[in-house]
This record gives sequence, C-alpha cells and structure tokens, in this order.
Amino acid sequence: MTQPRYLRSARIAAAGLAVGAMLLTGCAATVNKSGTSSSTSDNTNAMLTIPREDMSTFDRNFNPFAPAVNPMVNQAIYEPLLVFNPAKGDTTPWLATEWKTAADGKSITFTLRDGVKWSDGKPLVADDVAYTFELQKKLKGGYEYLVGATAEGTNKVTFTFNKPWSPALYEVGQLPILPKHIWSAIADPAKDANATPVGTGPYTEVDSFQAQSYALKKNPNYWQPEKQKIAGIKMLAMSGNDAANLASVNGDVDWSTQFIPNIEKTFISKDKEHRHYWFPPTGAMINWQLNTTKAPFDDPKVRKALSMAVDRDQVTKIGMSGYAQPADCTGLSGNYEKWKNPAVKDNCSWTKLNVDEANKVLDEAGYPKGADGKRTLKDGTPFEFKISVGASSSDWLSVANVISQNLQAVGVTAKVDSPDWASVVAGYEQGTFDSGIVWSANDPSPFKYFNNAMGSATVKPVGTKTFDNYHRFGDPKADALLQDFVAAGDEAKQKDVAYKLQEEYNDAAPLVPLFSGPEWGNHTDVHFTGWPSQDNPYATLSDRSPTTVLILTTLEPRK
Amino acid sequence: MRFILRRLGFYLIAFWASITLNFLLPRFMPGDPVSRMFARTQGKMQPEQIDALRKLLGVDDRPIWEQYIDYLHNIVTGNMGISISRFPAPVTEVISSQIGWTLLLGGTALVIAAVVGNLLGILAAWRRGGAIDSALPPVLVFIGSFPYFWLAMGALYLFGVVLGWFPIRHAFTDGLEPGFTWEFIGDVGAHLVLPALTIVLVSIGGWMLGMRNTMIATNSEDYITMAEAKGLRPGRIMLRYAARNAMLPSVTSFGMGLGFVVGGALLTEVVFAYPGVGYQLLNAVQGLDYPLMQGLFLTITAAVLLANFLVDILYVRLDPRVRSN
Repeated sequence: MTQPRYLRSARIAAAGLAVGAMLLTGCAATVNKSGTSSSTSDNTNAMLTIPREDMSTFDRNFNPFAPAVNPMVNQAIYEPLLVFNPAKGDTTPWLATEWKTAADGKSITFTLRDGVKWSDGKPLVADDVAYTFELQKKLKGGYEYLVGATAEGTNKVTFTFNKPWSPALYEVGQLPILPKHIWSAIADPAKDANATPVGTGPYTEVDSFQAQSYALKKNPNYWQPEKQKIAGIKMLAMSGNDAANLASVNGDVDWSTQFIPNIEKTFISKDKEHRHYWFPPTGAMINWQLNTTKAPFDDPKVRKALSMAVDRDQVTKIGMSGYAQPADCTGLSGNYEKWKNPAVKDNCSWTKLNVDEANKVLDEAGYPKGADGKRTLKDGTPFEFKISVGASSSDWLSVANVISQNLQAVGVTAKVDSPDWASVVAGYEQGTFDSGIVWSANDPSPFKYFNNAMGSATVKPVGTKTFDNYHRFGDPKADALLQDFVAAGDEAKQKDVAYKLQEEYNDAAPLVPLFSGPEWGNHTDVHFTGWPSQDNPYATLSDRSPTTVLILTTLEPRK
Repeated sequence: MRFILRRLGFYLIAFWASITLNFLLPRFMPGDPVSRMFARTQGKMQPEQIDALRKLLGVDDRPIWEQYIDYLHNIVTGNMGISISRFPAPVTEVISSQIGWTLLLGGTALVIAAVVGNLLGILAAWRRGGAIDSALPPVLVFIGSFPYFWLAMGALYLFGVVLGWFPIRHAFTDGLEPGFTWEFIGDVGAHLVLPALTIVLVSIGGWMLGMRNTMIATNSEDYITMAEAKGLRPGRIMLRYAARNAMLPSVTSFGMGLGFVVGGALLTEVVFAYPGVGYQLLNAVQGLDYPLMQGLFLTITAAVLLANFLVDILYVRLDPRVRSN
C-alpha cells in the first residue's frame, strides 16, 4: 500500500507546485511594477542605491574593527578628522578644523570642530578621539610610532610619537572616530556586533535591515544638516561582479564601483544622457616585482633591461581594457601626482619600450644570446623564470601574458604560473618566488611606497615571512632619505626629499612599475546630481574610501 | 534490527573518517587566514597589524594534534567557533542564517526534478518509441549538458531582463518585511522560480533517463506479462507493477541528492544573487576560514550520511531482498 499512496501524493504535490508557480508569476509582475513607479516619481524620498559586489549577504554587524566591515560604516556612520582627496591632492578638514605639527616633528595637535554631535545627541569631545586610538592600538595594532593621544580640554587632542614621523598626519587624521561613551561600555569591543551604531556621520540610522539589503537614514543630529540632501543610502548585497553589473546596466542602482567590461558599450550606451564613468589613475601602482635575492634579478641593469622590454601600452590595453595609465620611472602612481619630480618624470628611459636598448644592455651585462636566440645566465643556464599571478585575477593574468610575450623579443623566457592566490602569496611572503605582479601601498604620502620598495628595514631574509617588500630590496642611500622624509616637518621639505627618493628609485630600479591602477566608478544621475568628475574632482568615484563622505554630503535629488 | 545496527556502525566510522578529513584538508592549503586577508586588501592593511589581527581572530598556532583533539571535542559539544571571514559572527549563526534559503532552493528544485523526471521516465518507457520517448530524452540531455552558468545567465537575461517576468536577484524584494503574509510568501516564490527552474532543467534529464532505463528492464519481466495476461488496466500495471519495482535506484539518487542539497548551489547563488551556503563555502575556502569550512563540511557530511542512512532504512521496507540477506 505504500507506493500507490506515495505516487498519489506526488501527483498532488506536482499539481500544487504548478499552480503555485502560476500564482507566483502573477505576484512578481505586481511587485516589479510598484518598485519602478515609486523610484521615478519622487526623488526627494529616493534612496541612493549602491550594490556591494563582494558580499552575498550582510550580517547586522556595524563594528568598524571587523575585518570584513559592512559597507558605509567608515564612510557614512563614522567620520575621520580630515579627508585627503587623491583626485585633486587636497585635504578637507572634517571633524578637526586645524592641526599643527610640533617643531621637532614628534607631535601633532588637532583642534576639533565646534558643535559636532553624535547621532544620540551627545557632543563630540577630545576624549572620544583619544579613546578611539587607544582602542585601535589595543584591538588592531599598527601605529607603532604613536606613544599616545591625550585630550586637552574638550576640543584639542595631541598625538605624541616616539620619533619624528611625518606620514602620521594622514594615518592619524583619516582614522574614523568612535564615541567613548558607547564603546567604553561594551565588554568585548572586538566581537560586539554594534547593531545600532552611534556616529557623527551623515547617515547613521540603520533601517529595514535584511540579509541582502539595508538602508541608512539621516543622522538626526548631523553637524551639517544643510548637506543631508538625499533621504538615505540603500545597500544591496551581490554575489559577484556579474550580479552587480546586471544591476548597474539595468539601472537598478545609482552608483557602483565594480569592474564593468567594455563600459562604453555595456553600460553608457544604454542611457548616454544620464550615465557616466570616471576612472582616475589614483589607485595603487601595480608593479612587476623581481625577486632580488635571486640571480640575475640582483643586477639593476637586468631589471632595467627587462623593464624596457615591456610594452606598457599593450599591457594596459590588453590587460586593463585601456583604462590604466602606464607607469613612469618615478614609480609613483597617479595618486601621488603632486609629489612627482618633473626632472625625473620627463627624462625616463627604462620605463619606456626600447627593445634594442634592452638587448644591448643585456649583452653588455653578460647575458649572451645563444644561436637559438635565447639568452643564458652567467653560469650558462637558460635565462628562464616564472611570473606568478593568482588564477582568479584574469586581468593581471593577461598582464603577465603580455609581459611574457614581450620578453621573447629580448631572448628571455618567462613562464606565467597561475595557481591559487594563496600559494602565490605564500611564495611572495617566503621569498621563494621568481617574479610576480604585485600591488603597492597607496597612502596620501609616498613614504610607505618607497619604504616598501627599497627601505632596508622592510627586508626580511628568504624563508622568513614578510608582508611588504616581497622582492627583498634594500638600499642604504634610500634609507637615509627615508629617515629624512619622516623627520621633515612641513610638506615642502618632504617634497624635496621625495624628489631625491625618486632620483634614487630611477637609479636603482628596485621594482618594475607597470601602471597606475584605476579607481573604478560609474553612476547614473537619473535620481541624484552633483557627482564628482574629471572636471570637478572633489573626490574619486569610490564608494569605500575616505572621500566617499564628500560625495554623500554633496549629492542632491534631481528636481 | 541487526542490519540497521550494522549500518549504523558503518556510518559512525564513515562519519569519523570524514570529519578527520574535514579537519586535515583545509590545513593542507598554503598560507593562513590572516595573510590571506592581508593579500586580499592589497596593501590597505598595515603589516604591523598582522599579529594583532591573528590574536583578534583567534588564529590557532598550537600543534596540530592539540587542535584536532579540541576540534573533536567541539564537534561533540556542538561548538563550532567564530567565523573568520565573517568575524565576529559565530559559525552556527552564519550557517543557520543561510541554510533555510539553501534548503528551500535545493529542496524545491530536487523534488520537482525528481518527480517530473521520474514520471516522464515512466511514461517514456511504457510507450517506447512514442512521442515522449523519442523527443524528450535527447532534448533534455542536450539542455542538461549546457554549462550551467551559461544556461542560468541566459534564462536570467531572457526571462528577467528582456521579458521582465521574474525578479533578477535576491530571495525577496528589498524592503519587504519577512513574515507569514501572502505578499511575502508570493514574493519569495516569484524570486524562487528562475533559480529553481534552471536547476530543474539541467538535472531533469538524468532522472528521466535513469527511470526510463530501469523501467524498460522491468517491463520485460515475467510478472508484467502475467499482469497483462490477467487483464489488468495498463495504468495500474505501469504504476503499481513496473514503476514500483523500477523506482529503487531513483530512491537512492533522491536520498543522495537530498544530502547534497545542504552543500548549496554555488553557481545559482552567484548568478541570481540568491542567499545560501554555497557562496559562504566559496568565501570560506578563499579566505581560509577554517571554522566556517569545518562547520559547512560537517553539515554537508552529516546531511549526506543521514540521507543515506534513511534511504538504507527505507530500502529495507521497499525491497524484501535486502531484508533476507
């Protein structure tokens, strides 16, 4: 008797499902309709909708210390003392109105803005700032140079360092500030979900939180209420670039920053009047790192010759769809435009394609070409090595492939090796790799870039894990300059040292710089206007950098 | 009863072996979670923060056997630790918040595919050479051999974007309050159609062919001829005599399928931005999130073994031959 019953119930279930599916189809149509009509009719109540392509679901976790922090926590909820804008190279005072570096370079005093309130109505005081840094150092470390932050009265904070440390201004100034009266009451701040955050930012009120979407509404006590022109922000969780791209192309979101292939055709052409993109070259410099602990990469002539063999135009065109800016011999990306030394920049040799010169240098340096057109090393073994890139980065893989092809012209064999990123990075960290395509530091000041590129202090022996300077290059001349840089009190002096660092970089060629990573960003101004652009670069179009708050406080609903 | 006890013993050993593998395999992968996280931020983190972060995330540096004993203890007590990739959410919370969607999507697709596929298989075999038998298997196998990703994208584009019949992402419209209201249930159903339909499309061919082939063998058995000779109605012979006996392999597949549903449907989740554990597992593997990986593998292992055990028991009931052995 079991089977007939089973089959009968199965038949009923199948019929039920079919009917259900039909009912559901009808529902879907109505839901969609109501969704579109409400968003076009009234922009003053429209939410600024943004997809997040690397999170398929959200946790109700607004803890800024969480490694995978929810979007907009450090952009719309918590604010820093100052905002540095790499697109223009200027600094906007934010929670602080002014700051002063001590004459010996060992302390900075910030003056806080008057009248700033937390979203719960309590005033922002200097103690909040001091406490934030105490917490940050305790939970996440870093700021090795920082002895402490002390509040003086209610609106002055002094940061003291154990040595003159000029890059501190931006590192300290851009950390989002937390309220002491909330966080000091939390038993375990590292693991607290901070479900209802209290911040000084423009949009702090978490609303209709669901696993795949949430909204942030206006902070009722914001210090520039006249700038809260949009009703709020809505974040949508997306399980990858494809899903996010579909949302952008379909016009379901206002602003997105994931990579869209062939953006002119796939995105802009759907609505030329309202859709825009802007990819300023303010991302990190992407370098081809040669492991200088291995021959022949310990020879600067080889590094320069290999660099000359690389066709950077082809690299950016094929690898980066033409959206990246080829590097010059200062090694600095577009992020550091104002730091660049014109004398170095205008007289670059080894970062320009020059196959003849590359061949000549390699011949002279003692790497002869054999009868088969392939070069050998000084010990007679073939001039062969690997370029390691993680398999999931298809763009950088094509970069590596272009380089590998380019090198054939100078008789050098480079094999592209693409296992999982984990094993690639393990090779970088242990110093066992030959060469790889690697990112670099992208701070307001170029100190970290040069320190990681050629500071002896960052060099670790092969087999010891390191997290920067994978290519393990140290240069005593650069060390002295780096020392001068951190000790330089004002920016004019820092610039002077940065110029010299670029000269040294140009001489030593510690890395092979390839291109400035673009800062991806696109938007539609159907609902909101006031976006940054090439002509008005008050911020980049990034939705997850310190400048994001500048956009959030500039956008206004289209009338 | 002895049969069931013996099977139970076997399953216990299989369970131990698989949880041990769950423990070992992630640790054979190169790197550790913190340097993985560091590499993924591409220089946005300070190297000096690495140690603090290791401490914060509770990355284990003890000898591996000590970790193993702890791991076994935690499994017995049900404490799966804190996820690293979704820190500070506990693993149980990450899994429990996603598993419902996974079960809904996978379960619906599996039931539809199995029921419809088997019915089609029965009909095809019963009327050999008929319209269903000659047209459907090639078509379904053809569709089933499409790369799933491609098929899903195509369906999404056609029915979601061009025709606009179905929503194109998520499990329900954002802003809608979850609850047992008709509006919400209808919305969830509408969002379920495309993801479930694509899974059904690629899997239904297998069910149909499997059932058809066993059915054909069964149809030539003597007892079918006997039933026909008795003058029973063809429908009764088809369902109660032939299909009933041909169904055993399908029951096994269904049990296995039920177990694997728990693993999530990664590609579906990616294409339709549908919530579920598949994407969490991918994230956990990429971020070397040992606790979450262990939690998910454990759930999958337990589900597969449980489903198999249930099928074993069901078999005893369905097939007298198993009992006599």
